[in-house]
Amino acid sequence: MVAVLTKIFGAENLDFAEDVVQDSILAAISQWQLKGIPDNPSAWLFRVAKNKALNIVNRGKYIRRYSREATHFLQSEWTAEPALDYLFSEQQIQDDQLRMIFTCCHPAITPDSQIALALKTLCGFSIPEIAKAFLTSEENINKRLVRARQKIREGKIPFEVPKESDLKHRLQTVLNTIYLLFNEGYSASKGNDIVRYELCDEAIRLAEIISNNISIEEKSTVFALLALMQLNAARFKARQDANGNIFTLEEQNRSLWDYAVMEKGFNNLEKSTVFNQISSFHILAAISAYHCSAANYASTDWKAILALYEKLLQIDNSPVVLLNRAIALSKVNGAAAAIIDLKSIKGSPSFKSYHLYYSTLGTFYIETGEYETAIPILEKAINLAPLPAEKSLLQKKLDFCLKKNI
Amino acid sequence: MKDFLLILRTEGSVWTDLSAEQLQIHIKHGMAYIGKLMAEGKLKSASPVDKGSKIVIGSKGVLTDYPFNESKEVIAGYFLVTANDIDEAIAIAKGNPIFNDIPTKIEVHPMKPVGGN
Repeated sequence: MVAVLTKIFGAENLDFAEDVVQDSILAAISQWQLKGIPDNPSAWLFRVAKNKALNIVNRGKYIRRYSREATHFLQSEWTAEPALDYLFSEQQIQDDQLRMIFTCCHPAITPDSQIALALKTLCGFSIPEIAKAFLTSEENINKRLVRARQKIREGKIPFEVPKESDLKHRLQTVLNTIYLLFNEGYSASKGNDIVRYELCDEAIRLAEIISNNISIEEKSTVFALLALMQLNAARFKARQDANGNIFTLEEQNRSLWDYAVMEKGFNNLEKSTVFNQISSFHILAAISAYHCSAANYASTDWKAILALYEKLLQIDNSPVVLLNRAIALSKVNGAAAAIIDLKSIKGSPSFKSYHLYYSTLGTFYIETGEYETAIPILEKAINLAPLPAEKSLLQKKLDFCLKKNI
Repeated sequence: MKDFLLILRTEGSVWTDLSAEQLQIHIKHGMAYIGKLMAEGKLKSASPVDKGSKIVIGSKGVLTDYPFNESKEVIAGYFLVTANDIDEAIAIAKGNPIFNDIPTKIEVHPMKPVGGN
């Protein structure tokens, strides 16, 4: 809805569009309290917003605040209402959401602010909700939003889908931001479970808006990202029990997986291959697909997964990829080989404070029976792990080593 | 593609002849017509004419402005549309639902683009 109103008032008046939405929602809530929630609340809300916009237009007070494309039609009695009807039509709403995605994820805005802005304007999160999702203060989120809006105003960031020549590059920025948003929800490093799952859902929804839009032709990476997110989101609820205990992939009850979401993921993975293009999203999605298609942990095709990680390393040699490749290697060639591999890359400075490095290495030592060596490494991992549930999982492993090492 | 100016002329009294209900329907049809043109990307602009028209008449530096003398006929408004040719512009004019409700004349003027034709 903010997206549609931004079309009317222009990206530089984003806050104004948000105010109109806020007003509409308040009006809706007070109305619904009296008369109950209507059958189609979202259509109702859009109608309220449209009428609000029409009132503003009729008052004529904000003429200078209209976006350039819409100004002309909004100023004449004959065309103002049809113009609003048109702007609020289904296809236009979808197009506007796409424009809004590109505006929010403009490279001139920092990734942090991009995410905050997208959550605020496209996902309808309140500032307290965003703050909760990122475990930071409302003031902090507010600052990010103010900075982002300032950038849009000053940088004259247009409210549009980029032209063909820029599209590929700009789309990549958008997808990276969406993936960041998804990981924020998925990484389990912070925050409340329900809010986090919503972040994943929203990330998928935003990617779907792009994948459904007919004006973008080359959507291979969009489908790959969608597949990646869906194949992971399908396992979301099996990862943790009601008490917050984390289950590794090995321990997960596969009947808790959401197979409907998984199927969508597989479909999108198939669509992503049509264009004969490969990105890290493609490879990561393919890896997830191997995990999802295994009937149980033991029958996982680790050889294929290892080959995919080898390929991924050529595009992205970040610590996460190196670690995951080592895990795949341990399954194919044994933990001893994986330890040698991990030690050879230990020098990388970003590894030193990375808890997953120590937890992975410690687990390898347990597998090779070197419990004594594993103990200090696991202790370090426990120290670095940000989440209590992760700490307790590691503690279990450590206790196991201590018992074995007597 | 070429621009065409459509000028609508009606008789001033006709509006008062319509009942409130008829007027409501008239407006509804008009909105749908305009909305369709807009969605097709054919409408550049349109507006009804407000009260208080004036006319400036001049010759050799002597200019005078008068109230626009509308006896029976008034200019109801204009449409600026984009069409492939005059035939399409005429078709657009003929599609105006105003013809169903009141006697109307619509002039269709081709606009001369930069550099001529």
